[in-house]
Amino acid sequence: MPRTSIIIATRNRPQFVSRAVDSARASGKDVEVIVVDDASSEETAKVCDALADITYIRVERRLGLGGARNVGMVSSRGEYISFLDDDDLRLEGTLDQQIELLEKEPSAGLIYARANVTNTEGGALYSYPTDCLQGDLFWKLLTQNFIPCGSVVFRRSCLSRIGLLDDDSPGIEDWDLWVRIAELYPITSLRAPVIVWRKSTPTSGQLTSQAAQIVTASIRQFRRWMKLPRALGASREMKQTAWHGFSENMAEHLLCECLRALRHGKLDQPLKNLSLIPRLDPLTVMRLARHRFLRLGGPDLQTL
Amino acid sequence: MPGISVIIPTHSRPKLLPRAIESARAAGTDVEIIVVDDASADETAAACRELADIKYVRLDRNQGVAGARNVGILVSRGEFITFLDDDDLRLPDSLDLQAKALDANPEVGFVCGAMIMADQNYQPTGEVTGPRHSSGDVFRPILELDFAVMGLSTLIRKECLLRAGLLKRHLVGIDDWDLFARLAELYPVFVMDEPVGIYRQPTPGSGQGSSARAIQLGRVVRHQLQLLQLPRAMALSGKERREIRCCLVNRVADTLLWNAARRVPYGEFDYACENIAVALKLNPLRALRPGAYKKLLETWADKAFVN
Repeated sequence: MPRTSIIIATRNRPQFVSRAVDSARASGKDVEVIVVDDASSEETAKVCDALADITYIRVERRLGLGGARNVGMVSSRGEYISFLDDDDLRLEGTLDQQIELLEKEPSAGLIYARANVTNTEGGALYSYPTDCLQGDLFWKLLTQNFIPCGSVVFRRSCLSRIGLLDDDSPGIEDWDLWVRIAELYPITSLRAPVIVWRKSTPTSGQLTSQAAQIVTASIRQFRRWMKLPRALGASREMKQTAWHGFSENMAEHLLCECLRALRHGKLDQPLKNLSLIPRLDPLTVMRLARHRFLRLGGPDLQTL
Repeated sequence: MPGISVIIPTHSRPKLLPRAIESARAAGTDVEIIVVDDASADETAAACRELADIKYVRLDRNQGVAGARNVGILVSRGEFITFLDDDDLRLPDSLDLQAKALDANPEVGFVCGAMIMADQNYQPTGEVTGPRHSSGDVFRPILELDFAVMGLSTLIRKECLLRAGLLKRHLVGIDDWDLFARLAELYPVFVMDEPVGIYRQPTPGSGQGSSARAIQLGRVVRHQLQLLQLPRAMALSGKERREIRCCLVNRVADTLLWNAARRVPYGEFDYACENIAVALKLNPLRALRPGAYKKLLETWADKAFVN
């Protein structure tokens, strides 16, 4: 029985798959690589046939990322599970390092690490998250998803306590799973980059470039998170602080994406983004502006 | 490796559960029984500890029936999968019979049998519900809700289930219908006329699932539009698609009126009103047909007779 299962969900990007699979295999020993082909055209099947030692599952109708990863998890056998996007890369030996740390902390459900962010041409931009927090991160995670999806290794046993990925929250199914794990388990981290992550541009067609949709889904999901037992049992102040933090991060994300889209000469996306801001906390924009003026040393909107 | 995994999601019914488990065990020789406890707050965990030879999974956060079934699939090892509700029963040897049918027909995605309808005390009402279609392509009858199919009456090839995708959590109450429609779109289906399970029906006056049914049927009507987007439905002509749509809407409207008529004599007026309201919204002219009123009179007569 393999120790770890790395699940790579892919759709119509055969040019990246074999690179991702190779990097996954080199990241640790005793790894089972599962490629879930989310109803791609035939070329992906051809590429995967040529790859030795992988479990290839073709899904006949498009399920989306969450549904495809769920199929991958159901077919996996490893004690630990990790996701890798088809256009990301795992760094060599990093999986073993992470599992070693996770095994030292039997109560922790999940370990994450940093991602090296590159532009579409592969040039290095920056590495995030800088502080790699540990411990009880439930309230922190409610306000922002600072966990790079590909860097996570979690225990299979978590799933039989909290269930699989939600298939009805496109773009944030990973965030939702981290929140639900963090509600019950402490979280640990490795302060080193373990994956290389390709940053999307408004034209690259990646899902993460549709900011307005993500924020709409996040607002809906935030309401569901507030119904988790730990949130229900918390004080009003706690919940309000979480909502303020969430609103601020969402507004900041929307504004950043606005500027980015404007620089690429797109006009419809910024309007859609701005129309969402009233659905967040009413004072968000004021607070955001105040923070921006006071915290001049922080990352500049233009560089993000 | 066991041949068949029986997945039993349960939520706070420790009294009924052992009976369902026993029936599943008697239904096949090579069976793995998986009980997924969907965050029950009562003595379900203790009751399961007393049962030998089951795989018990406890969810700490309520996932709903579909979510619990998916977790059951996650821990299952069988080649074939079936879902059993904690208050329904499998008939002896029925799983072996269905497994044999799947073995003999390797192209088939799932096999579907009939169900014996029973009241709250598992006493058969005399009614047997079956698919009433022959084996093969049943995609259209399932879309039209003309094909009686439930987790209880089927055995699914796990490989096919994975290729079609797992159950969808957000489709509360109709997740199995959605799954069987997606399976039937991809694979032929083997139909057996023999009953394979006993379905414990909510009866008038029992209060079980009283208002949920109207909401559920409303969901069926809405979700059919999504299923009509599947490639094989898209390949049909516009006329055929409209026919399928019309057939389902009328069938649901009839069922709602029929249900309402059945409940009025028992004084469940809010239930009846809810049903009638949804039915009128679907197809206002359908309410003018005499069928529902006949049912109303019949139930009234029955009730008067019993009293």
